[in-house]
Amino acid sequence: MQPSLQINNLQLFRQHDLLLSVNEQINGGEILTIMGPSGSGKSSLLNWLTGSLPSAFHTTGEVYLNGNEITNTPAHLRHVGVLYQDALLFSHLSVAGNIAFAMPASNKKQRLEKIDDALEQFGLSGFGDRHPDNLSGGQQARVALLRVLLSEPKAILLDEPFSKLDVQLREDTRQLVFEQIRYHQLPALMVSHDHSDAEAAGGKIITLAG
Amino acid sequence: MSQINSTVVTRNTEQALAQPTDWFTVLVKLSPKLLLLLLVVPVFGGLIGVILPAFGWAPVLNQYNIGLQAFTALWQTAGIGQMIMLSATTGFISTFVAFVITLMILAAFFNSVWLARIQQILSPILVIPHAAAAIAVGFLIAPSGMLARLISPWLTGWDFAPHGIFPHDPYGLSIIVGLTLKELPFLLLMALGALAQPELGKKLRQQHKVALNLGYCPMTAFFKVILPSLYPLLRLPLLAVLAYASSSVEMPLILGPNTPPTLAVAIMHWFNDVDLNLRLKASAGALLQLVVTGGILALWLLAEKAIRAFFSDSLTNGKREYGGAYFQKLTSVITLLVVIFISLALVGLVMWSVAGFWRFPALLPDTLTLLHWQSAVMQMGTPLINTLVIGAITTLLAIILTLLCLESEQMRGKKVSGFISFILYMPLLVPSIAFLFGLVLVQQLAQQSLAELSHQSSNVKTVYINYINVIITHLLFVLPYVFLSLSSSYRQLDQRFAIVAASLGAKPSKVFFKVKLPQLFSAILIAVALGLAISFGQYLPTLLAGGGRISTISTEAVTLANGASRRTSAVYALMQMLLPLLGFILAWLLPKFIYKSAQR
Amino acid sequence: MPVIKFFAIYCGKLNLENLKLNFGEIKLSRLTLLLTVLFTLTLMLTLMLTLSVSAGEVTPSIKSNVKSSIQSNEQAEHWQNIESGGRNQAVFFHAWGGDPQINSYIRWVAQQVKAKYNITLQQVKLTDTSEAVSRVLAEKSANNNSQGSVDLVWINGANFAAMAEHSLLLKNWANKLPNFALTDPDNNPTVTLDFGVPTQGMESPWGQASLSFYYDQLATTNPPQTLDELLAWSQKNPGRFSYPKPPDFLGISFLKYALVVLHQQSDERIKAQLYMPATHSVTQPETSPAASAVTSPAALNNRDLILQPLWDFLDEFHPHLWRKGEYFMQSGVEMRRLVDDTELSLAFTFSAPEVPAAVKRYDLPPSIRSYAMRDGSLSNTHFVGIPYNASHQQSAQLVANFLLSPAAQAYKQQANVWGDRSVLVHAILTKEQQALFQTEQAHPSALAVNSIKMTLSEPHPSWVKAIADGWQARYGVSQ
Repeated sequence: MQPSLQINNLQLFRQHDLLLSVNEQINGGEILTIMGPSGSGKSSLLNWLTGSLPSAFHTTGEVYLNGNEITNTPAHLRHVGVLYQDALLFSHLSVAGNIAFAMPASNKKQRLEKIDDALEQFGLSGFGDRHPDNLSGGQQARVALLRVLLSEPKAILLDEPFSKLDVQLREDTRQLVFEQIRYHQLPALMVSHDHSDAEAAGGKIITLAG
Repeated sequence: MSQINSTVVTRNTEQALAQPTDWFTVLVKLSPKLLLLLLVVPVFGGLIGVILPAFGWAPVLNQYNIGLQAFTALWQTAGIGQMIMLSATTGFISTFVAFVITLMILAAFFNSVWLARIQQILSPILVIPHAAAAIAVGFLIAPSGMLARLISPWLTGWDFAPHGIFPHDPYGLSIIVGLTLKELPFLLLMALGALAQPELGKKLRQQHKVALNLGYCPMTAFFKVILPSLYPLLRLPLLAVLAYASSSVEMPLILGPNTPPTLAVAIMHWFNDVDLNLRLKASAGALLQLVVTGGILALWLLAEKAIRAFFSDSLTNGKREYGGAYFQKLTSVITLLVVIFISLALVGLVMWSVAGFWRFPALLPDTLTLLHWQSAVMQMGTPLINTLVIGAITTLLAIILTLLCLESEQMRGKKVSGFISFILYMPLLVPSIAFLFGLVLVQQLAQQSLAELSHQSSNVKTVYINYINVIITHLLFVLPYVFLSLSSSYRQLDQRFAIVAASLGAKPSKVFFKVKLPQLFSAILIAVALGLAISFGQYLPTLLAGGGRISTISTEAVTLANGASRRTSAVYALMQMLLPLLGFILAWLLPKFIYKSAQR
Repeated sequence: MPVIKFFAIYCGKLNLENLKLNFGEIKLSRLTLLLTVLFTLTLMLTLMLTLSVSAGEVTPSIKSNVKSSIQSNEQAEHWQNIESGGRNQAVFFHAWGGDPQINSYIRWVAQQVKAKYNITLQQVKLTDTSEAVSRVLAEKSANNNSQGSVDLVWINGANFAAMAEHSLLLKNWANKLPNFALTDPDNNPTVTLDFGVPTQGMESPWGQASLSFYYDQLATTNPPQTLDELLAWSQKNPGRFSYPKPPDFLGISFLKYALVVLHQQSDERIKAQLYMPATHSVTQPETSPAASAVTSPAALNNRDLILQPLWDFLDEFHPHLWRKGEYFMQSGVEMRRLVDDTELSLAFTFSAPEVPAAVKRYDLPPSIRSYAMRDGSLSNTHFVGIPYNASHQQSAQLVANFLLSPAAQAYKQQANVWGDRSVLVHAILTKEQQALFQTEQAHPSALAVNSIKMTLSEPHPSWVKAIADGWQARYGVSQ
């Protein structure tokens, strides 16, 4: 069966005001882009999908991941990865530690090898012992992406992921992220302000009203 | 629309039911209730334990005559009016003076590097226990103290200590000086803490600049623009300071008069008197203390209203200059005096602790010796161990409970209820002397029924029960500060780290232990140091809850404060200061060595 | 002072509302850091070392002289029971804790009984002995008759009278202590009478005290030798003398000295009232109207009769005292400190050897000299008692017996230890035991041997309360 993220008849309320309604299916490797002004409920949509929606919001509708309903599944059991505009690397852990934190438990040696391979693949070889705060913005973004990918997610959410990077870096990073999404055949949902992001994603674009 | 609403409700219920119930989640969810229990039961139990004996019902004393005898006895006490006046005036005036100096410093040095420097100089006083501070001040202002030595005999011609009235002056001036010096840094730090809040601080600093650009002198700008927004954030700390100042026993005991003493000190003496009937009078006195403290709190709030009404027009009268330069100079002088006063007190304390013969009016000791430190440290074993053990257990409990409560707050997605916040402040607002006696009576009652239940096991170690009592009572005073200190850091944590960790598959317990706690490491260590400092400094709770059997550095220091040897007393006071200092040094050092291994 | 400076910087970052510290801002050299660490470590090490040294302090083991003083087999058996039953337990010794020297002596005792009987002696430091009395009384009213928290209490005078009156003390044990015989009780009434009240074996003597005076010879060369001279001296040296606020033990003692001296010329019948219970007509008729009808008016209301001369004296005396008699020091030990401060030039003590000991520890200036008043020195004995409900009665008796041993009494009498006078009768000790009491040459500030020419007996304990109450009513609230 093809991987998919399916949002069925979502209606999202703050108190009793309807914020947004979405009814979409995203197939593996596809990137759905949501655009809209701030306050239109984009972040709440992402929070709902990750399972961390504050209690001030109410919802109706369901979400299915690869055919399994995960609407009420606790956040840590959903296998939905997130990338924010900040890399949000844990500064009490090294680069390798950050990635190891995300990986499923297994043999230590295998994990270390896998991390080294992945870092090399992303042009970060030898960065494993580095402290994340000492990395450049582009390097941090790549580590964050690696961290998500090695957690073996079944879907990926992108929250303005490139908005803090300058133009050249932005294009490179964007290309890398989208390549990986397509390579791993992950359904992805991106929230963005930026039309070039949306175009590069090449998928459906939904524009929310204020 | 109604249809939608009903679906919403159903969905939410399902979501609630679907929550996982692992041990961690259960613990986290229970923690606010536990916190409430730990704070409410002792305070209210203690208050009831005071109210009943005050009206004549005290099973522990075999007293069952309900009536107002205790109040009659209280009212007939010689000098009761003076006691009340002394408590009320020392509390009110010291808080007022400390508040005024705080405002002057803030106004004169707002947006200046000097503000940070003054804060740095004054804040160590925050962790000095009241008893130690009182001892230091007493040494300084005594007729033979450093102040008199500085000007004798070359200026005064004094070859013997002059006839002075300090400390122990009948007007309570010494108490006011001591309390003011202790409260000033606290209020200043509270104000700076409020200004350090990212949004509010930025907004206020910008508003201050706007006022300056409009031609207001810096001090006027502070009083007309900043103070109205800042004051509401200072009200609660101010009330806590007022409540404490009007009912504490350490300062009045060490610096106050005794013909008569303050109400709180008198209550303590009655409670410990050989005549048990005086305990009823002590209970009635504790209620009177509540009224007195409540009265000056009300007076403060009333004065606040009056001042606001009186000055509301002048806020917008356009006047930009009220002799700001003059007041700025005055503030500098006052600040300098405060700093000199404190430095002299500390220097005096250190010198006394190593002094050989040191006859008045010599400015320096004739000889120096480590004898006093040696003999004091030899005797310090048990009190020191008690201090450390009680402090460590209390702080550990407070930290765990606080962290769990804050985690439950984030789990539920909203702040702890206003009720809990209020309860947290309660031990700081209710005079401790009022509920501690009741608490001791309740604890004795519980202990007795426990002993009767398990009569065969006669070797139930009452010492351990005393320890537990002391820890519970310390917790009342440690918890609020630990909570205050940790909550802002915890609430300022970037929530997205937790979301990222969860989306990477980490369980709530893993997110808590592996992501949040390491990020909070230094904040937790500071809360630990603060908790230890608060616990180390407790005098009355240790004395009462421990039944006088648990001696700590603080109880020893107060006992020796008016004792035979200034030298021994100085050693104990310095010990009282060193212990919290050690905690803070560790809190500063440890993060440098832990969680930084990957740094390069 | 890098530490203090660091602390200042450090705490500058600390505040309660927002404790997020930015350590990056603190620029400290590595050297400062190292110094701080070293300081902390050294401090901790020093503490630990001193603690371990104090815990393991080696003291010569004391040979008990139990065997020699036991007279009958029965008594021997009684004591053997106590010796075997009292081992390996804890004893909570409630004792006034205001004097580091005494506390230090009690710690020595604790080490001795630990070695001897494995008894863990813990001093509960009281600021006033009445705290222990009220504790036992509270336990009794709560029906706690066997698990009391007080095992041993340092007591005499009014507190003893109060405890005896309420039957709060274990009876008939002190006279059976093996070492009690060394006090020669048959010929030495001071060890069986506490302020005139028979002890009935409820308390075991611990030490003896007489009121003696000391002065700063740089401040005054001719200290007063009688109460009259004291008044005249105070008028000439205003503010240089005072006494602790009643009910402080030493303060009351001074007032009793004054009271007894003031009645030295009184009629014998009146003088005798001093050694009878204090009475007051207002409370008496309610309890026994019939009895009061037959007693003479003087006995009915001896309180005012006896005390009036004292109040007249104090009215004249107080304006010339320290702080014009408007404030009184809390305790006797504070008085000693005020002499060191040169605020006072003349003071008194119930424990004369305390004075040279304090000079040796720098707590009094070397210009101090001791003497006894010519018109008499108030004298008494202090004791240890065991509450009737003490949890560890046998262990407490072992401790009390040890306190009476020649070794403990001799060590206590040493000027640099405590300097409290022994209650043992020198003549009946063995040569070896007597040798323990030999001391080095007297310190110049010490009270000369045999300087007490005339002792004054303590009035009946009920006078303590009468004096304290009357004092409180007259002078307790300054106008």
